[in-house]
Order: sequence, then C-alpha cells, then structure tokens
Amino acid sequence: MLHNTKCECGHQNPVGTVLCESCGKPLDDEFGTAPLEMRYDGIARRSQRENPALIDRVWRFFSSVKVAIILIFLTLCASIMGTIYPQENTFLNVDPSVYYEATYGFSGKLYYLLGLSDTYGSWWYKLLLIMIGSSLIICSLDRVLPLYRALSKQQIRKHMSFLVRQRVVYQGQLPATGITAVSFIDGLVPLLKKRGYRVHSDGTALLAEKHRFSRWGPYINHIGLIIFLLAVLMRGLPGWSMDQYTGFLEGVPTQIENTPYYLENEKFTVEYYTEEELPEEFRGQGRAVPKLFQTKAILYECTADCSSDKPDLKQVHQQNIEVNKPLKYKDLLAYQFDFRQTIQIRAVNVSLTDKMSNQTYGPFELNTITPDETYVEGPYVLTLKDYYPEFALNDKGVPFTNSKSPLAPAFIFVIQGPGLAEDGEVFIYFPRDVDKQRFSQDKLNAGIVDKIDIGVGSMQDVSISRFTSYLNIRTDRALPYIFFGGIIFMIGVIMGIYWQHRRIWIRIDDENEITIGAHTSKNWFGIRKELSVILGKAGIVVEPKQLENGVKQA
Amino acid sequence: MSLNKRYKRWVQVTILIAIFIVGGFTLADNLFSDDSIPKEGSKAPEFSLPGLDDQQYQLSNYKGKIVVANFWGTYCPPCVSEMPLIQNYYEKYKDKNVQFLAINENDPLVSIKAFIRQYKLTLPVVLDKDVVRREYGVMNYPTTVFINENGKIEMIYEGEMDEPFLSSTLADMTSN
Amino acid sequence: MSLEQWSENALLLAFILYNISFIVYVIAIAGKKWSNRDPIVHVRRWGRVAVTMTVIGLASQITYFITRWLAAGHVPTSNMFEFMTFLSMAIVAAFIILFWIYRLSALGLFAMPVSIILISYAAVFPKEVQPLIPALKSYWLYIHVTTAALGESFFAIGFAAGLMYLLRTIDYTSKTKESRKDSRGIEFTLYAIIVVIGFVLVSNGFKSTDYSAEFTQEVQQKDEQSGQLVPVTKTTVYTLPAFVQPANSKVVHMDSFLGMDQPLLSAPSWMKGIDSGKKLNTVIWSLLSGLILYWILRLIVRRPLGAIIQKTMGGIDADDLDEISYRAIAIGYPIFALGALIFAMIWAHEAWGRFWGWDPKETWALITFLFYTVYLHLRLSRGWQGNKSSWLSVLGFIVVMFTLIGVNLIVAGLHSYAGV
Repeated sequence: MLHNTKCECGHQNPVGTVLCESCGKPLDDEFGTAPLEMRYDGIARRSQRENPALIDRVWRFFSSVKVAIILIFLTLCASIMGTIYPQENTFLNVDPSVYYEATYGFSGKLYYLLGLSDTYGSWWYKLLLIMIGSSLIICSLDRVLPLYRALSKQQIRKHMSFLVRQRVVYQGQLPATGITAVSFIDGLVPLLKKRGYRVHSDGTALLAEKHRFSRWGPYINHIGLIIFLLAVLMRGLPGWSMDQYTGFLEGVPTQIENTPYYLENEKFTVEYYTEEELPEEFRGQGRAVPKLFQTKAILYECTADCSSDKPDLKQVHQQNIEVNKPLKYKDLLAYQFDFRQTIQIRAVNVSLTDKMSNQTYGPFELNTITPDETYVEGPYVLTLKDYYPEFALNDKGVPFTNSKSPLAPAFIFVIQGPGLAEDGEVFIYFPRDVDKQRFSQDKLNAGIVDKIDIGVGSMQDVSISRFTSYLNIRTDRALPYIFFGGIIFMIGVIMGIYWQHRRIWIRIDDENEITIGAHTSKNWFGIRKELSVILGKAGIVVEPKQLENGVKQA
Repeated sequence: MSLNKRYKRWVQVTILIAIFIVGGFTLADNLFSDDSIPKEGSKAPEFSLPGLDDQQYQLSNYKGKIVVANFWGTYCPPCVSEMPLIQNYYEKYKDKNVQFLAINENDPLVSIKAFIRQYKLTLPVVLDKDVVRREYGVMNYPTTVFINENGKIEMIYEGEMDEPFLSSTLADMTSN
Repeated sequence: MSLEQWSENALLLAFILYNISFIVYVIAIAGKKWSNRDPIVHVRRWGRVAVTMTVIGLASQITYFITRWLAAGHVPTSNMFEFMTFLSMAIVAAFIILFWIYRLSALGLFAMPVSIILISYAAVFPKEVQPLIPALKSYWLYIHVTTAALGESFFAIGFAAGLMYLLRTIDYTSKTKESRKDSRGIEFTLYAIIVVIGFVLVSNGFKSTDYSAEFTQEVQQKDEQSGQLVPVTKTTVYTLPAFVQPANSKVVHMDSFLGMDQPLLSAPSWMKGIDSGKKLNTVIWSLLSGLILYWILRLIVRRPLGAIIQKTMGGIDADDLDEISYRAIAIGYPIFALGALIFAMIWAHEAWGRFWGWDPKETWALITFLFYTVYLHLRLSRGWQGNKSSWLSVLGFIVVMFTLIGVNLIVAGLHSYAGV
C-alpha cells in the first residue's frame, strides 16, 4: 500500500517521514496538539522501509535504539555476574573445574558450569560486544545521513502547526504599534547573533540556529567506540600482543621467549621506609613499608648463535625499571612485578695454586649456570667432568643435585699437568666454605690436595646474585589505536553533551501575529531562559517558564 | 531514485558482510582456538630440539613411529632413578618402531654429559629450555608423554614409571 | 601549629560550616510558610546565606586539601580517608556549579547531607598521612582518581536532584500500586542513607570507648621463600562488638558489650578473604543500627519519612529538578568516562602494561559507565523523563557507591586476592 507522501507545501518526502522535510508539517498526525517528536527532525530513517527483505530485517534490528539499550543492559548484567567470584585468569596453576566447587560449594560449581568463571573471555560476552559494535555502526549510519540531509535543507518559514507544537512556544502580538513585521525581525537579528546564532530571515520569517555541530557528537563518539572495539579485536592477531612473566636472576642475561632479546637484571634494589619516615602510628611495630623496587636492566639483542649456551649479544638499551616506570624499547615493555631474595653464587674467580712450587695460575672464572668444560691455566689443563648446582649425597652416598639453582655448587675436575698422573687426577671444588666443611673437601681430594689447591683470593672474587626480579614482559601494538579510539570517543561525547543544537523559528502573520517555536537537542531550561532574555530586549516581556508549551501564558 | 536505492543496498550488504566476517572470525577464534594444554587424545604439539649430538630432533620426522618423550632433569631424583629403565626399554624397542626421546630441562651441559657417562645412556637426549615443556603443560618431573603413530597423544604419565607399567603400555601401543 | 594540624583544623571547620549551611537550607526551604513573610523573599534571603556558608566551607576544605598535599608531598587521595574527603569536596563543588546554572538553593537540602555523610564516613578510616608504596607513585593514578571522583560528584548531585524530584512528585494520598511502589522505594533509599549514618555513628562511638576484641585464626599462607603453603596464625582485631567471629577462629579476648562477651556466630567457612569475618560483622552492625535509627524516626513522625520530607518541598518546580538531575549527570558523564575509564587505562598501562584487567573494581567502573550510558540513551532517545529517569539517577548513585565502597566490602572481601 502506498501512502501519498507529498506535503501540501509541494515537497515529496520519502516513505516513513514523520514531519515534512521542508516545512515541518506533521504528516501522519495532522490535527494533534501534543508537542512533536523532534528526534532526527522527523525524517525517514533508512531502516523504515516497507516490504522488508531479510537483510532489511537484520538492518532494522540493529538500527533500533531500543535493541542497543537492551544490548548495553545485558552487557552490564553479564559484567556484574563476572564479579561475583574471582575469574579463572586471577589464578595460576589452578584447575577451575575443581577449584570453584571446592572453594564455594554448589554455587561455585554452578558458577563454573554456567561459564561465568571466565565471563569476559567467553564467546557469549564477545558476541554481546560484537552486537553492540554492529548496533553502533548501523544505528549511526541509519540516522546520520538523513539527519545531515534534513539539517542542510531547512526552510525558514515553517508550517504553523510545526511551530505551535514545539516544546518551547510563544504566541502574541508585536510589542508596540508602529513597528512593522519586517523591522521587528530585523531588530531581532543582531540580538540573536550576539548570542552566537546564525540567522536566516526572509522578511517576516526567521530561523536562528546555533551549535549544530553538537548533533554530530553522538556519531563521532560511536566512531570512537568502533575504533576502540576494532583495536581490541586486533590484539588477537598473531604478534600484536604478548604477555609473559619471567624471573631474572641478578647478573644473568635471560632470553625473552619468542624474541631475539635478552634482558639482564644487573642489580635489583629494594628499599624500605626508615622509622623516621613512617607516621608515628606505624613506628615500633616492625612494619616494613616498601619505598622502592628497582631493577637496573640491560637489554641485549642476539646477533648470532642464538640457540646456543653462549649467544652473541649486543647491548641495545639500558634502563632502570621501577613500578610505574616500565622499560620501553620499540614494542617491548617490561614491568617490575615482583622479586624474591635468592642468594646464590653466580660465578667465582678462582686461582689454581701449585703447592709444590707455590706458583699461582689464574684467576679464571667458574660460571655456576653454564660452566665451561675445559680450562687451561699455565701448564695445567682442567676438565670439568661433572657439576652439581646444589650438591647433595643420597642415602647410598651417591652424589646428586637437589635443584638447578646454584645454592651449593660443586665442581668436579680432572686436572692434568706437571706432577700429576698422566690421565689426570680428580679434584672436587666447593666454592662455599660451609660446603667445604660439610662434605670435607680435603678428604675427598686426598692425594691431590697436597699438590694442588683451587680457591678464591677474597670475597671480591665471588659474584653473588642476591635477588631474582620478576618482570612482566609485554607487547601491545594495538594500544595506540585503542587510545586513539578513546580520544575520538571523548571528543564526540563532549561535543554532544556540553553543547546543544538550538533552533528558533519565528514567523509573523497578518503583520501583527508573532508565532515562535524553539527546539533544542537538550537542556530546555537554558533555551527558555535565553529566548526570554532575547524577547525581553526586543520589548516582549515573558517569564522563561511561560514559554513552555502547555504552561498558561499570563 | 532507483540508482540511489541500489547504492544504499550495496552499502548495507557490505557493512553486514564486514560485521559478519569480523564477528565470525572473533567468535570462531574464541570457540575453536586451543591454547589449552594438550590432553590425552589430542594432537601432540610439534617441536624441534637440538640433541647432545648436535642433531636436530623433530617430532614430525617420526610420523608412523611411536614416540616416548620423557621430560627430566638431573635435579629430579625420580627422573634419575627411572632413567636406567628407560634406557633398557630404548634398547629393547629400538628396532620395533618406537622412538625414545629424553627431553632434558635446563641442566648445565657438563652435568648432562656426566650423567650420561655415569648411567651409560645411549638413548637420544635433547635439550629444552622450558619452551616445549610449557607447550606440553608439563608441571612436574618426570613426565612421560606417549605419542602414537598418528601423532596423537596416547597417554601422559606423571611420576616415576615402573617396569610393569612401561612394558604393558608399550605392548598395548605396538600391538594396535 | 604544624601544616598537618592546619590541615586537620581546616577540614573540621569545613565540616562544621557544611552542617550549619545545611541547617540554613532547611530554614530557607521549610521556613517559607512561617507567618509574616513573603515566601519568595524568605527563600531568596536565607538561600543566599546558606550558599555563602557552603562556599566558605568549600574554601576551607580546599585549604585542607592543599595544606595536606604540602604536608604529605603527594596528592591526598591515596587512602580511603583522603579519597572520601576529596569526593565530598567535589560534591560540594558540583553543587555550587549546578546552583550557579539553575539558581535553585533548595538543591543544597539534599546535596549537603550527601557531602556531610561522606566526610563522617571518611572519619572512620585512619587519618594519618601515609608514605607511598611504589605502586601508588604515579601521576596518572592521581589524575585518574581525582577525575573519576569529580565525575562521580556530579552523579551525586544527579542523585540528590532525582531524589528530590521523587519526593516532590510522589502522591502519598494515592493508593494506586504505582505510588505505593514509589513510596516503598523512597523509604528504602532513605533507609540506605540511614545505614551509612548508622555505620558512622557506631564506628566512631566504639572508637571513642576503645572497644576491642581479638581473634586468632589458622590460615594457609604462601611462604615467600619456598612458595609452599604453610599454616600461619593470623590475628584479627575488631573495634566493634563481635556478633560474628572470623571463620574457624578462637577468641583471644573480647570486651563485654551489654553483657555480650562471646560472639554469637561464626562466619561461614567459605569467606576466606582478608578480614572477611570482620567485614561481615561491620555490615551486620550497619544494617542493624540503620534499622533501629529508621524505626526511631518512624515512631517519632508516625508516617513514611518521605511524606514528612515532602511537606517541606512545596513550591519547588518538579520539572526543574528533573532537568537539574539530568544536567548534572550529563555534565558528569564525560568526566567520569575520562577519569574512570580512559585515565584508568593509561595508569593501568603504565603500572602493569595491561590497560584492562577485569579486576572487580575496574569492572564496576565499567558497569557504572554502562549504567549511565543506558540512562542517557533512555532519556535522549526514548524520552524517559520525570519519574523513571529520577529512579535511574537514584539507582545510578547506588551503583557508584557500590563501586567505591561495596566492592571493597563485599565482592572483594570474599576473595583472598583483594586488598582492603
């Protein structure tokens, strides 16, 4: 069924138009008196066509603000559900299928089975976000183009019923006799311009308009949100984001997995507030309030032999990492997260002494993480036969290592050289004195101990790692886009909310009858006050409240 | 007018298709991506690790063979104590289409070599630095992963294996 | 006098001035019906006095803020006391801004109590200037916190005006289902406010009598060195008489309160969070004291509290209230989005390298944002005004308060990973 969509002013309107695009006459409710629904200026939106095909139905679904609100509300509810119990990603090494039931009983089990234990990573939460994104795109497109068209071809003289059915209305006579309609209108123009309006008049009718740009605010903020959502999706692309948690022992360059980079924690510092710096209430309680966590970090890039024990490293960056001050190098970010005191020997600079001639050779470095296999010092050749990072003996007296951390290192050498047996003699070396005593190094080395000794000169020859610094290593290449989307969103919101699109239509009929209608996208109090002030200056005294449609005029 | 209308339909279709593709991709990624640790029955993640003999050992090269991958370290007493058994079965099944791989985690080279000498090991020992271990979700040592001829994980065993277990498992796998 | 004392006195002065100004607002609004006076002149004169006092109070509180900043060397929004006093200051500022736009002094009748209650609530928490732990040493943190609080303060004014609209328009003579529902909702909202007052009174009351009760609890704690779970004996000190003791705990000592020298109940064992038993006990105390206060008031006035407040509100234009409520929210919305989401993301990125982590607090900030997004869409696109819109503004502020207080107290309190 086809409606006649031609207005009496002669304008042909698209199907679905509520108010004539040209003169503003209400098309479907010609004789009503209630204030008009002015949203989108009564234009036909794209989704409102007859005979919808499937594609139109989908389009119409997403173009509905009601649907959009429902989607936001559902997301809101889902987000609340996700905060009832901690999410799976807050735990490491926990089996969620057991954890929730064990900790929270039946409700925990239900929570897990409903998939709420991973609300924000679930497919249905993402589906909600995708639907919101679709709604943002389609809602905006469906409105912005027609609105643009309507606002760019406004008629100055509007239909009488359009004016008297605005929410802000004034009807009356010219303030004094002797003023013509044209001169009254001319007199209003500078008053309106002074308040920032752009004024168009055609003699006895006038259209004043300001801050039209604020109408674009919602569409701009929606564009910002779409950019934001797309950027979040991009994080899922391979290589766009990385997140790992690695411990860095002092003095040991450690590879950052899946990258050519090595990071060395040269020195870790932890400082606590002194008693004097603490407020009185805290003193004398032995409370340690941390002041500083700092990792003195050096970043290397591997240039060759990357998979070997001794890669070629080139220093590319150096920085102190503190909480809130991450290391930044290209895409790579490293955040101070945690630390652990782990006192262990990283290397010893030892010398070999020939006890018979009292000759000393060296010093040479024994690394406790990746020790070398042979050492040539003077006439002596030391072959490292075995190495135990944390030496211990089992119940059968067989040596083994308790862990892979060099907490009690033991080096077992075969030494060849002058005064020693042809195929070498065994020397067991414990860098720590306490281990020397515990495992009686001299007894183990009986036979060779009178000829050879290995040892350090002073404590300076022992490199000790005191701390392991735990860093979060991250890359997030979508971040600039995410913040760009955020900025666009903010610009749009501010444009749309802190300014209002105001329009005032005036027409004078029969040389005496003034009819004024005014419309604003929001903030009616303000436009009533403004109109009252302007009219007051033009000689018409009217209280702001009386301009409200339906309030009786005095 | 009709041209204008067709243009609009073209815009609508493009936008809906774009949304469908982006949305579908995201959801599919969410539903079907499997970054969880492999379980019994799932495909064994591919790896390629250097051996002590400087050769590369690549899992996919053993397609059609049964692979027994044992994650171990010298710092792990049960690993040490089960190693002679593994060595024994390596010899036994060498020609029966079973490939043993002892995947060492983070030991110093010197210590591994000494260990091999001490226990007279001949099975291939390959070196990993937590990369393959994490991919297989191995949390405790020793863990032994049995991979069948089709590259699927048949069984994951945590802890020290005893002879009856190893022999029956291998017997089962080779008879199928 | 030290800077810190200056600061403390300035806050006290502000608090007193706010209270006096509140009384003057009451005189301005309720006194217009007194005999021998023109109501419009009366409201204008007393309203001006009240607003002037409010502005002086605000100046005094700003003095507090600046002197404390100088004394501490960092922006004083780093603990609950400092944050709540800042929020109360922002609410007064937001009220002044809306007063400046709409010239409606009656708004102070509800805006001031919100601010006063928040300052009293802040007083429950430790007041000392604390040295900053490394995680809090970030400019972005302060920019984020202050901007978010500013946005929330406008939501508070939206709440005050919305509540006023409801009180102004609800028909207590009508017996329809709708107005009964509205009336019950209003009573519940007023009860919720009284609960906060009850909490403040009870906490400060027992603080002044130095009440204490002590409990010990065996808990499994992760040992720093070995990474193993080891049993640790934890001591919890209550400053309110214990109705509920921590789960699986022993009483070390407990001061007697009205003959009660043993806890009545034990917290359920699934409450494993930090101080969860203590928090549960506090919640019980607040609800109970709120209930007692509410019923005392009800017995005095012998009708719904809303009905008695409504009597003072004749002559205030309801549509103006509706618009002020909306306008306050519209002003606050972009500020909140900027502070609570965008600046929060920047800070989170600087501090942890993840701009979003679905932590309960930040999820609730998102929920607040979504809620007000729904509010604005319903109002601007679906024409929800007046009653419905006002209810949303009230509900919205409850969401804000839950985000600020409830998340710490309830959601996070049940979980071991959340700090206080």
